[in-house]
Amino acid sequence: MGYKTLLTKRVEFSASHRYWNPKWNEEANKAVFGKCISPYGHGHNYILEVTIEGTVDPDTGMIINLYNLKPIINDVLKDFDHKFLNEDNPYFKDLIPTTENISRVLWDLIEKKLEGTSDCRLYRIRLYETPDLYVDYWRE
Amino acid sequence: MKEVCALTKVYHFSAAHRLNAKRYSDEENRRIFGKCNNPKGHGHDYYVEVKVTGDIDPDTGMIINLSDLDRIMKDIIDELDHARLDIEIPYFREFTPSGENIVKYIWIKLQPKMDKGRLLHLKLWETSDNYFEYFEDNN
Repeated sequence: MGYKTLLTKRVEFSASHRYWNPKWNEEANKAVFGKCISPYGHGHNYILEVTIEGTVDPDTGMIINLYNLKPIINDVLKDFDHKFLNEDNPYFKDLIPTTENISRVLWDLIEKKLEGTSDCRLYRIRLYETPDLYVDYWRE
Repeated sequence: MKEVCALTKVYHFSAAHRLNAKRYSDEENRRIFGKCNNPKGHGHDYYVEVKVTGDIDPDTGMIINLSDLDRIMKDIIDELDHARLDIEIPYFREFTPSGENIVKYIWIKLQPKMDKGRLLHLKLWETSDNYFEYFEDNN
């Protein structure tokens, strides 16, 4: 039986978003998305948990140095924190910024930045939209 | 690599219960359940985390529309909220309303109503320092 060591970094960011499918008329959008269709958007204090798996470096005792992980996450979040995701963030021009889709985009961006970091990889992303609603995203 | 996405929503209800099993004598019930055997019952603020998995619908960007999940859960929560479980809920006249049995009861009520997404996991917080989980074990 093997063992696994995980490290999780938790970061908060604030963003606004709007749910709207351009293929549908207003009535259909309202029926599915309710209040979330407001063109001005509404916002949340998101909490992102990035979980990394990998080999514990015998010299440092770490999977990844948090000093290295933190700037990677912060760099990715530049396009998210205090932004209107639908308009300020390039990834949601044609993608509805639901918690599911934000998690998927964050996975892609963080995974790309982790490439080349030896012996560690993304294990799971958890994104809290509110304290009582969150999404887990991973690939297997 | 296949993506896996799961959405979790937390619901709350307050309920009272008494832990008492018919097959035991009064003395045995007091010994087994201790304070929880108080005939007048006692209560908790329960929080249940409902975890649903499935494909992200390209039209909505969602695994399941939260308004649908909320609607399904409302009936379940309404029955439990402010109820004395072992007296007012028929299921718990037969099964002791322990955390284990309550979380299973929620699964039994919820699972058949899921028409989009698949119920993956339930976690029931009875207090801030104990919780119970119920899920299908595929191993």
